[in-house]
Amino acid sequence: MTVLALIGAQDVQKLVDAVALGSIYALMAVGIGLVFGVMRLVNFAYGQLVMAGAYALYLSSRHGASTLEAILVCFAVVIGLALLMEVVAFRRLRQATPATMLVATFAISYLLQSIAVLWFGTLGNIDPVLQDLRRPFSLGNVYVAKITVVTVVVAALALATLALLLNRTTIGLQLRAAAADFVTARLLGVRGNAVVAAAVVVSGALAATVSVLLPVAQSPLITPDYALRDTIFVLVAVVVGGIDRLLSATLGGFAVGFAVGLMGGFLPTRGEWPFTSSIYIDSALYTAVILVLLFRPTGIFARRGQRAVERV
Amino acid sequence: MRRVEALVQLAGPAALLVLVGVVGSFMDRAREIEFRNALVATAIVVALYVFVGNSGVLSFGQVAFVAVGAFAAGEMTVPADAKEGVLPNVFSLIGDHTIGNAESLLLATGLGGLYALLVGIPLMRLSGLAAGIATFAVLGVTFNILRNWEKIGPGPQTLSTVPETTDLLQGTVGAIAVVACAFLYQRSRLGRQLRATREDPAAAAAAGIDIHRQRLWAFVLSGALSGFAGGLLVHARGTLETRDVYLDLTFLSLAMLVVGGMASLWGAVLGSLLVSGLDSFLLNAENGQIPGLEAPAGTRLVVVGAFMALELGLPRRLRERLRPQAQGAPVEQPSGQS
Amino acid sequence: MLEVEDLEVRYGAVPAVRGVTLQVAQGEIVGLIGPNGAGKSTTLHAIVGLLRPHRGDIRLQGRSLRQRPPEAVARAGVALVPEGRRIYADMTVEENLRLGMAARPTRAGVDEDLDWIYSLFPVVKEFRSRPAGALSGGQQQQLAIARALIARPRVLLLDEPSLGLAPTLVRVVFSALAEIRARGVTVLLVEQRAQRTVAFADRTYVMANGRLRMTLHPADAADSDRLVAAYFGA
Repeated sequence: MTVLALIGAQDVQKLVDAVALGSIYALMAVGIGLVFGVMRLVNFAYGQLVMAGAYALYLSSRHGASTLEAILVCFAVVIGLALLMEVVAFRRLRQATPATMLVATFAISYLLQSIAVLWFGTLGNIDPVLQDLRRPFSLGNVYVAKITVVTVVVAALALATLALLLNRTTIGLQLRAAAADFVTARLLGVRGNAVVAAAVVVSGALAATVSVLLPVAQSPLITPDYALRDTIFVLVAVVVGGIDRLLSATLGGFAVGFAVGLMGGFLPTRGEWPFTSSIYIDSALYTAVILVLLFRPTGIFARRGQRAVERV
Repeated sequence: MRRVEALVQLAGPAALLVLVGVVGSFMDRAREIEFRNALVATAIVVALYVFVGNSGVLSFGQVAFVAVGAFAAGEMTVPADAKEGVLPNVFSLIGDHTIGNAESLLLATGLGGLYALLVGIPLMRLSGLAAGIATFAVLGVTFNILRNWEKIGPGPQTLSTVPETTDLLQGTVGAIAVVACAFLYQRSRLGRQLRATREDPAAAAAAGIDIHRQRLWAFVLSGALSGFAGGLLVHARGTLETRDVYLDLTFLSLAMLVVGGMASLWGAVLGSLLVSGLDSFLLNAENGQIPGLEAPAGTRLVVVGAFMALELGLPRRLRERLRPQAQGAPVEQPSGQS
Repeated sequence: MLEVEDLEVRYGAVPAVRGVTLQVAQGEIVGLIGPNGAGKSTTLHAIVGLLRPHRGDIRLQGRSLRQRPPEAVARAGVALVPEGRRIYADMTVEENLRLGMAARPTRAGVDEDLDWIYSLFPVVKEFRSRPAGALSGGQQQQLAIARALIARPRVLLLDEPSLGLAPTLVRVVFSALAEIRARGVTVLLVEQRAQRTVAFADRTYVMANGRLRMTLHPADAADSDRLVAAYFGA
């Protein structure tokens, strides 16, 4: 408590909020990293899964669904959409180069955003689910929003479950094998499509979790470009962390979320020169990703001596 | 024989662009704008093609060069008496000087090329996915700074009162000029060397081709042409906002290039005109200007997006079937030759 | 058991295997030798579905494997021990073995099979909780064969299993192969070591430039190097 007294209650709140944003980004990073692991596909359209989930929450609660029902609908929609993407688009791209796949998911991202514009317009809708978790509770003289704690706990639980799945189950073992060497896994009889589907479902479940948390932790206004900026940040984070390894990608996600949270909280909001205020967070992150790609292509958390560059 | 074929490669697209210009001149004012836009879009896509098509390396960065060219050309041609109002906070170099249309296009070309050179020197070492992400990051930084730094532009405001000097004639001549540059480059020794690296980087390197340098040349030329196209763009529209030269334009220009087939000049030009036409048609449908076809707002990007997603996904098998020698293509990369 | 008929495989427009026909009967050990680039590995890759044949057919007990994905070929009972072993270095030895179970037709009898495999390769049992990457090359080769065997394959394909191994380990691998055949598993062995393979296998095909050039028998073993060299004029 003496430390808290030193840095001030306000600062502690900002710090805790940054941890929450880091947790959300970590979830997204795992979702993107998991699919990348087995398919070598960077899914630019991951944010649109989160967007679809948030609209599902909005729509189902507008039709009178309870919170639990709305969340279930959200998971069903997001996982269904993720599988649809895999079956309709990704499966045809298995042999394409990573760059072609990136352009393709970029196109899918645009397609889904446009469909959202068509369906809901650009003005935005409020997602009411779990919004009462915004209310703070106090710890001494520090006020923390309940959602902040919920986010961190849910993220930790989700990641722990995933770790169990990967390390203790057969499909988890096969997922890890496919990520390390897909061809050999298939030679051993591991069904390629089943493993990819498993990765896509888990990745979708993580996106759905983010769909529930993000509108409470951040803005509840759902627009067609919802979570787009977050996705781009997470993509950056995953590259910075080292996209080849799930753990380091997760750390990258957390680090970037935490950094964005901190910079948003502590930097001045306006500055005369670039990189002097929080409006230049984007530039700082993008510059970081360029530097990492140039100097540590395997990512900063990855072990040294890994083959990389082209696989990034 | 080869010479004739080569000339068709240049004359074909050029004739097509002239046709667009001529047909456009018979249209009323509202339609004419669409023709001008199509010509500018062609210039942007061909500029992109110069790098992506010849090198086979993905780049999201060209729209950043378009943005730099567009803002530079736009800001410097805003009439002196309007500058204070449109660009209240800029450096005096920008605020106190006004240049003509031709100079502004030259400036846009130069800045686009220079920016591409600065970015390209480190980045051209990358390829594949890394190149895609790094160039996307360049686009992100460019957008973020242009949108917020009011000393070099309007920041989040709209740049307006830019003279609309890109008429059909200038648009046509401009687009043809870009096509001609692209044509001359790919016929040149430099262009042929770069294309060799696209087919087989290892063999090209073994033959003594410096891949990094060849890519850099193409990137700089592409950046200069992108800047020039940006100049055409701002002078066609008269107003410009940072969002106009960010993700939507990146997406559209990539879509145009992909639809036409990434590896040929003809493809780039045809793809641009086709998607531009489709885009304008759907925009009109959205605005209710086409009797009997009323599309809701947003249709346009849905259709273009679907078009591109299909183009990237579906025809692979088709193309494979058309090329019998591709049959033995590995299901996965083979681990090693026997 | 395994029949390859008029197989042609191309890389792009370049044919790597041009009209290969071969049979491996139930319980037989057949060798396939030849210089680098002869098309030996390519033949194996086509059999297991990693490469699509341009022409020809591959049959397992009369049923065509053509156009089947690698996992389906594995599940049909064809196991490949790939060149370079392709062990999952970050996983434990036991996890590597568990992965091999994916192609196994039934869970029944796993324990008996494991006992047998451990008796063939005691090191695999000894190091089963270690990361596979920590094993020596020869130990990894044993693990790779063990991993293929746990799937209880009908046909075992091996791509240069003795590559880079010390002579004592080569003996371990070859004697294991003899026991594997004794269990009724059919073996197709791709090798560089001509003499050893010819002496060991029931029949050995010699491959060059994508074609089978001749067939050698154990009786030819002493002369095999000379015969092969004479044929290629080397």
